[in-house]
Amino acid sequence: MPTLVRKSLREYRRALVGWTIGLCAFLAMYISFYGGMRDNTETLSAQAIAKYPGAFRDLLGGLSDLASGRGYLQAVVYQLLGPLLFTMCAAILGNRAVAVPEESKTLELTLTLPIGRRRLLLERWAALALGLLGVALVTLLFAAGAASAAHMDVPFGDILAAHTGLFLLVLFFGTLTLCVGAALGRKQVALAVVGVWGVAGYIVETMGRNLDAIAWLRWISPVHYYLDGRPLYQGWPYGDYLVLLGATAVLLLTALPAFERRDVGV
Amino acid sequence: MTAVVETEGLTKFYGTRRGLEDLTLEIRPGEVFGYLGPNGAGKTTTIRLLLDVIRPTSGRATVLGADTRDPRVRARIGYLPGELALEGRERARDYLQFLADVRGGVSRGKIDALAERLDADLSARMGELSKGNKQKVGLIQAFMHEPELLILDEPTSGLDPLVQQEFLAMVREVRTSGRTILMSSHVLAEVEHVADRVGIVRAGRLVAVEDIAALRERAVRHVELHFDAPVPAESFQGLPGVRDVVVQGASLRCTIDGRPDALIKAAARYTVVHMVSAEPDLEEIFLTYYSEEEARHAHAGA
Repeated sequence: MPTLVRKSLREYRRALVGWTIGLCAFLAMYISFYGGMRDNTETLSAQAIAKYPGAFRDLLGGLSDLASGRGYLQAVVYQLLGPLLFTMCAAILGNRAVAVPEESKTLELTLTLPIGRRRLLLERWAALALGLLGVALVTLLFAAGAASAAHMDVPFGDILAAHTGLFLLVLFFGTLTLCVGAALGRKQVALAVVGVWGVAGYIVETMGRNLDAIAWLRWISPVHYYLDGRPLYQGWPYGDYLVLLGATAVLLLTALPAFERRDVGV
Repeated sequence: MTAVVETEGLTKFYGTRRGLEDLTLEIRPGEVFGYLGPNGAGKTTTIRLLLDVIRPTSGRATVLGADTRDPRVRARIGYLPGELALEGRERARDYLQFLADVRGGVSRGKIDALAERLDADLSARMGELSKGNKQKVGLIQAFMHEPELLILDEPTSGLDPLVQQEFLAMVREVRTSGRTILMSSHVLAEVEHVADRVGIVRAGRLVAVEDIAALRERAVRHVELHFDAPVPAESFQGLPGVRDVVVQGASLRCTIDGRPDALIKAAARYTVVHMVSAEPDLEEIFLTYYSEEEARHAHAGA
């Protein structure tokens, strides 16, 4: 493994372990509720759900079959909270590639090593991608284990498909943070871009899908390519996932020349 | 012999603010070049241009015969940033090892030897190092791979006097081995004992480049002579390069610019019992450059 990738992973290690533990705790807690709620028709039945306002249900992905293992897993883990938490993790790590060390001035010495700027950025990104992949793998196994323990009856293949989408989504947002940081060197700006694009993208995808005026915006929402294929129900949405992967590549290819050209630390 | 550092019309503007303008400079192999100027004069801008951290607005620069844009050349440079930031839980030794690996390795025991010389504790976490210890780690990483060119931005800041002496010894060793050093400072006293030449930069412009030896020759020197009997003041009036003569009985005080030759010859006619000559005060010359430059600018602006 290239020296800088190894070194970056070492820097991320504590954060990665922390986020993995945090995400697993979240999964354990929320999935374990299912066992108690499944048989309680008063809370999860279609009639009970129908009492919630439509916009609220839309925002949480419809809540159509909360009583089933799939429906519960989608609504509670993969719809909102899972991506939200994991994206925060990705954005925080993505910022540590360039913007954070640049603002704290520790990047200067790294830049004066005999490593070209493009390679530096690529190796930082590789460390980010590997780190997120590690978190995704552990949480995938944990989610599958917890789901099976709670008798959710969701096949592993479907959880894998959904979790892969989750990984690609957070890889996109992590890369976005890294790229804005690389292009501008400002961590707050990078977080703001991710926050606005992520939240607006989510709202457009969930509440906006029935509003003609903004429905077209779904095409530029990363969340659309994560949620629209309903992988937990329908298996792999290859096309959507390729769009996420392609967008990630485009971001990176844009950031490389931007970082290459820029004055650092001024 | 080709220059180790060569710049031509090197200019850097930060927006409309001038960082450095039209710097043409040559640093020769094997010399210690002192780069002097007050804070904000453009020293760090120059250094960061040479290391390709920032990009020139115009002009060009080569380092060790290569364009500054070539990352490979940086393996042959040792760099100490002016604002050295070391953070995190990583231990200093591990960080140094990482830097060494990326630069292609350092000879065995070199890091420990330097740490011992500078009395640095490498087992500490970087975030917990004091300012002085950070500077030591910075010096170790700059020297450890025995680079052909050392670029040191304010290297002695934060070091205690004993370590400063050790650092100066390290600088002399580098020069003895034929390698080159560019070091910046805002005080001449820090570099005058090791530098061969100094460049003086002010408000983004290189004002002067001088040999330290020549500078010393032109230096202002305060001299006191004591005779065995009172001397006539007239004997010491109008001597070339001698001014501010005060004769009080058998003693004389004066200031000489440059060589003391005329004064010595005049004094030789009497019996000298005691002579005191203060170290040449280069700082004064240094300040003269500033005031001349200021006057010139004021004139040009008028």
